[in-house]
Amino acid sequence: MDHAVIQLIVSGALMGLVYALVAYGFQLTYATSKSINFGQGELVMLSAFVSLTLTNTGLPYYLMIPGGLLFGVIAGLFVERAGVRLALEQKSEGWILMTIILGLFGISAAENIWGRDDRPFPTPIPTEPIQFFGVSITPLEISVAVGVVLIMVVIELFKRKTLLGKAFEAVSADRDAAELMGISATRTIMLSYGLSGLVAALAGILVSPITTVGPTMASALVLKAFSVAVVAGLESGFGVVIVGLFLGSLESLTSFYVGSGWREAPGLVLLILALAIRPTGIFGKAVIRKV
Amino acid sequence: MKKRVLTVLLAGLITTQAYAADSIKIAITGPFSGGSAPMGASMRDGAKIAIAEINAAGGIKVGAKMMKFEVLERDDEAKNERGALIAQELASMSDLAGVIGTVNTGVCLAGDKHYQEKGITKIITPAAGSASMTQWSKAKVKDLSIFRLAAHDGIQAAMVVEEAINRKFTKVAMLYDSTNYGVSGRDDMVEQVKKQGNKLQVVTSDKFNIGDKDMTAQLLRAKNAGAQAVLIWGIGPELAAVANGMAKIGLKAPLIGGWTLSMSNFIDNSGKNGNGTLMPQTFIEEPITPKAKAFIAAYHKAYNVKRIPSPVSAAQGYDAVFIFAAAVKQAQSTDTKKIKLALEDLKEPVQGVITTWKKPFTAWNPANEETHEAFRREQVVMGMVQDGHVIFGNDADRKRLISNATSVKGKK
Repeated sequence: MDHAVIQLIVSGALMGLVYALVAYGFQLTYATSKSINFGQGELVMLSAFVSLTLTNTGLPYYLMIPGGLLFGVIAGLFVERAGVRLALEQKSEGWILMTIILGLFGISAAENIWGRDDRPFPTPIPTEPIQFFGVSITPLEISVAVGVVLIMVVIELFKRKTLLGKAFEAVSADRDAAELMGISATRTIMLSYGLSGLVAALAGILVSPITTVGPTMASALVLKAFSVAVVAGLESGFGVVIVGLFLGSLESLTSFYVGSGWREAPGLVLLILALAIRPTGIFGKAVIRKV
Repeated sequence: MKKRVLTVLLAGLITTQAYAADSIKIAITGPFSGGSAPMGASMRDGAKIAIAEINAAGGIKVGAKMMKFEVLERDDEAKNERGALIAQELASMSDLAGVIGTVNTGVCLAGDKHYQEKGITKIITPAAGSASMTQWSKAKVKDLSIFRLAAHDGIQAAMVVEEAINRKFTKVAMLYDSTNYGVSGRDDMVEQVKKQGNKLQVVTSDKFNIGDKDMTAQLLRAKNAGAQAVLIWGIGPELAAVANGMAKIGLKAPLIGGWTLSMSNFIDNSGKNGNGTLMPQTFIEEPITPKAKAFIAAYHKAYNVKRIPSPVSAAQGYDAVFIFAAAVKQAQSTDTKKIKLALEDLKEPVQGVITTWKKPFTAWNPANEETHEAFRREQVVMGMVQDGHVIFGNDADRKRLISNATSVKGKK
């Protein structure tokens, strides 16, 4: 029985890490611009399709990854330019609708280009499970976990250790003050959207071998990720990992002990609790309004 | 110049009219794009092979004239509302002889009432959901113009349970998706377990949602309860997630379920984890009879493929056309109402690729949908996934079909 519990926690936590990675994409752009790409899930899907196409042209896996990531960055920048920049300049909330529309456009484009079928995503990473103290886990799942943690550590280090990263943090902390110090907020926001696209592409490449690739592959994922982002608070990169792991395991445990029909329930309860008790999120900073 | 254009136009009119009067106008509907496309397109392509064969032989003799088939194709995209619109459009045509097709039970429910209203003869294939026929028996309609050539879920559920019993399993887990299709499939299976003497103990019964990828919890419950087989009702991608999840947690039990387990998106996405999966099939892509051999070769050649995306749909589309053609010949008319009457009482057996159909349908009786269902248990076999293909699950089925084919020959 013990083994079953650990197995459930491990499998759930793994899905949780993927939620966290998508949530991290939300968090990156929110930090600099207080805006979110509601089409983040579609970026994950489009990047996965592009990567699959690259693989099908015969490109080896390790060369396909940079290609897919590059596409993610470009797509992220496109979303910023086409859907977000003008709305932000005019201090309007138009980006909400614009990013949703871009996302829908992405789904239609994918359906027309690649069709509506779910397709397998080939991977050189073995899918044979290996046993750790009675718990089965596949190398593929380990690669997802490692990839998620690695990219987040790299981006967090970049934000803390490099000059460009510090500009990023400065704009996050206080946009007007940062502009006065000669930091271009527009460029920093571009950077954040590019990074967010990169994260989406990586999520697509990492999870596709497990989830298969299809135009609606990310629609369930992105809702969970949004819950994670809201519960954790949109300020904390570390927070989304903790909440993601927690939510993923909780789902899996609920499904086992309470019943498979209740799988989605804990996430929703958590979301309601967070919004009712701590609207800024568990790891969010309390908002201080100066009057 | 003007005169010439007019003459050309007039000439065109005359020829098309003449053409229309000499042809049997038949519509093929189904999803030719999107997730259900493997089934829809295979059905259409199988039907078109049959039509090409008939037309190449000069058509069907109706009265003094030889008439050829003229095909209208309509893509319903597996959407109920599209299906309803198409049905309305087709039902308004006065010279339509009949309709063949529909993959999705929902589309049948949305559209077939338009055909029934106008009395247009339709053969449903390959939509298998029980509701597309039971809707008429529940409404107690007196006369029905809708027929079906597909192994309905009732037969399939019976076979799934029977297979588990034959393989000497006593403990099974049930898994189903949370859609109408999955839940009604589960109900059919539970009913069959009772009907077949409660020889199976259902140790767990769990559902999953469309889009779910992590099935660990449901599968661990099944494993801990000692399930020897997993009886499953769902659609392609989630079924593949189940097969992959079973391999991961080391649940070594066969998956047995509805015919959707033969969909290419299950077979491709589960890879070798799908091997050994069992499902009812009406046609296996194996050239065991001369008729099957010729059909498979014709399909591969006409559409330049090495594997029919959905062999069941293709074969059913093919046979539906031949059954329909036999009805036209017997009715000696392209009038859809006369064709319907002929279908209910086909005098001559029809040589199909699945079987030789002897009186597939009888006059509609609202108390018994089987009057308009062509398939009985004996025409359905168990298929098994093996390295990307569906093969015969039981050798006995294979031998039976071969001997059936030769015995028919012998009688001739």
